[in-house]
Amino acid sequence: MKNNTQQEKLLRFGISSLALGIFPLIWFLSQAILFRELTEQLTRNIVVLIAIPFGSIFIFLLFYGMNKLIDFAPKDARESLEARMFVGPGIFMILLFLFYPAVRTFYLSFKDRFSQEFVGLENYRWAFTDTEMVVTIRNQVLWLIFVVFFTVFIGLVFAWLTDRLNKGESFFKSIIFMPMAISAVGATAIFKFIYEYRPTPLTQIGIINGIRVSKGEACYNNRIIEGELKGYDDPSCLEAVGWLQQRDLSALPIANQLQGTGLFGDILVNLPVSTFLLMAIMIWMYTGFAAVVLSAAIKAIPTEIMEAGQIDGASELKVFRSIIIPYIKSTIVVVSTYMVVTVLKAFDIIYVSTRGDLETNLLAVKMLDEFSKYRNFGRSSVVAVLIFVCVLPVIIGSALRERDNANE
Amino acid sequence: MKKPLLMCFLFLTLILGACGGGSLEGETVSITGALIGEDQNGFRENIKAIEEATGIIVTYQGSDNFEQEIQIQMESGDTPDFALFPQPGGVVDAANRGYLTPLADLDIDLEEYQNNFSSYLVGLGTVDGVIYGGANAANLKSIVWYQPAEFEARGYSVPATWDEMIALADQIVADGMNPFCFGMYSNGASGWLATDWMEDIMLRTGDGVDSYDKWVTNELKFSDPIVKNAATLLSTIMHTEGYVVGGTDAIVSTYFGNAQDPMFSKDANGNPGCFMHRQASFITSFWPESAQGQAGVETTVFPFPSVDASLPAAALGGGDMWAAFNDREATKVVAEYLLSADFHAPAAQMPNNARMSAHTGFDQTLYSNDLYRVMGETISAALSANSFRFDASDLMPPEVGGGSFWKEMMNLAVNGPGYIDEALANIDTSWP
Repeated sequence: MKNNTQQEKLLRFGISSLALGIFPLIWFLSQAILFRELTEQLTRNIVVLIAIPFGSIFIFLLFYGMNKLIDFAPKDARESLEARMFVGPGIFMILLFLFYPAVRTFYLSFKDRFSQEFVGLENYRWAFTDTEMVVTIRNQVLWLIFVVFFTVFIGLVFAWLTDRLNKGESFFKSIIFMPMAISAVGATAIFKFIYEYRPTPLTQIGIINGIRVSKGEACYNNRIIEGELKGYDDPSCLEAVGWLQQRDLSALPIANQLQGTGLFGDILVNLPVSTFLLMAIMIWMYTGFAAVVLSAAIKAIPTEIMEAGQIDGASELKVFRSIIIPYIKSTIVVVSTYMVVTVLKAFDIIYVSTRGDLETNLLAVKMLDEFSKYRNFGRSSVVAVLIFVCVLPVIIGSALRERDNANE
Repeated sequence: MKKPLLMCFLFLTLILGACGGGSLEGETVSITGALIGEDQNGFRENIKAIEEATGIIVTYQGSDNFEQEIQIQMESGDTPDFALFPQPGGVVDAANRGYLTPLADLDIDLEEYQNNFSSYLVGLGTVDGVIYGGANAANLKSIVWYQPAEFEARGYSVPATWDEMIALADQIVADGMNPFCFGMYSNGASGWLATDWMEDIMLRTGDGVDSYDKWVTNELKFSDPIVKNAATLLSTIMHTEGYVVGGTDAIVSTYFGNAQDPMFSKDANGNPGCFMHRQASFITSFWPESAQGQAGVETTVFPFPSVDASLPAAALGGGDMWAAFNDREATKVVAEYLLSADFHAPAAQMPNNARMSAHTGFDQTLYSNDLYRVMGETISAALSANSFRFDASDLMPPEVGGGSFWKEMMNLAVNGPGYIDEALANIDTSWP
């Protein structure tokens, strides 16, 4: 009897490794080798044409073959094996295309620019000492704080206010949701026109500069007007400003007022204007999303609770703080999590607008620059690892929360 | 189950059979590169002649993201037959990593190639004595755009030396106008215009071409007095009050493609926003519509003035260089055409072409316009006299030539002449 179970165990192990391990491996390799050969022999269009029917047939063969093998297993083991059979290829794909590259990137971050020699922590030392990298990390932190905060805050306020409307709620909500329908590249192009700068004698086509210039007297750069030399530091004139090129406030007249007003003023003078203007693009894009999600959560609050609060004499603000906020806390956390991940992935806005020039860079763009512009794989990998490390706690946090929710 | 499989294999064998023909007729050769817009049209015109002569289908696809795309293609092994790198550095890098086929394997007569394109150009595409890069077209950077009519009306004369140019600039400022247009903002590449200025000055100071070549390889450090002198001269242009229209803020904020626009816009007194704009020959395609087609007529160029009179005239330029990824028969045939003297002829005859053939035997009378003819002759003469030099920042390691050199020039523009030493020291430290 004992012998029998052992034999059965062995059989079960043999069949499961055959069905879930060796067979898919052979299946995958044969397919990979076939298409590797095909790409060398045929033009791409034909390979694509062949790949579609062949891929489907291969998938069919995979499951068909696995199923046949599992049929040899003892009856009571079949059910669990079949379950694994369906999950198996998915897990395999995730390991191959997500887990393996992540591990390899981590490994490459310790190697030199050509991924040949080990350089220890040199790339990490670079990441935290190089002036440009430090600025990039600073920008990323600023983006994380301000974009996430303003998106959620404005979205929350908007959701709360529209909820109080008697009519027109859906109209206003669709208006604020509209930017979500525009791609980040399109939105950035729109904002580039708002921030556009032209040198002095030309007509300003950017909205902000247009308004700015039309307000003051016309500006002259060292022109003699009625016997008087006028420079563009003339107080009566407002010079157009290259908004996306301003690393601090020093080019604006407000800097003179702030100078010497203590610590706060000094910090404000060094405010990276361009970075904040770029953040505005993302806030504009995602506020609508936050508003709609939060508004749905507010709608789900039972009216009895709200009414009970109002009957007890709570003010609007008190109701908002003590009933609405606690009730939709989990939704706020979810929206914030989503925004944190989105900001860490933020790439298109910078790529289309300034391409990281003049201290506006973000990690995702820096990663690409190190890879393809400076061709330094080691450094590029370090930046990738940094992004990964930043996303990790957020992902783990949300996974834990999911589990808690499921347990409740 | 069996039938469809069988059909598929039949289908496969059919296709494989069709590919194994002998003639080159109908074979395809793909070229990718960074040329887009008007330049792409010109290049496509050029390769049409190959198609007609050989029956090979040659395709060119330009992309403004070429440099990244070719990296990914090389890493994944999915390369075109030819890549037209915008800078020779791309060829050297790809050759070092073993992706390229040497020209010798393409049955190119290397000696003839050197004679036709000058040993300097050929040397730029050579790694460890093996020639990988094929020179193609060049552009001229040592030029200053100006409007002769505006000069004449005010009695200004074209400056032949740096001192004359400074004297003219002072005169223009004294007359209440701005002499220079200068804008070096360029998404992801901001600062390259200032590095071009530096290179032009470097070619004309110190030991001329010799010190320039040493500077490119960092044998001559950035902190060297020769380089510092060049930076100081550049800083005179950027930081002298009134020299540049809009001041330093305009220098860092103006997109290089818009930088010349003040020259074409007149104020109430009929004065242009600026009088001189040092920029490469390709800038004409960025001109405002009203000025298009006026290159060489209303707006033309004078050569970048000499700084040290004892040095021979030099020309700074840029240009692309192609390299092959395989040695198929069709590739060999196309490679030979790419190096022939009249390869560039169809493009040269197009009205908006701003690329000049780097082949010294090219028939200069073919250019559609006097301006391009003069530039073509300048390039050809400089190549023969070994005084043509490539854009140094394109030849330096990417961390410097595409990184710190650009960035520090931007910082220099913002921070003023006091920052020169720090800027040069920073570039030296970043040299790998």
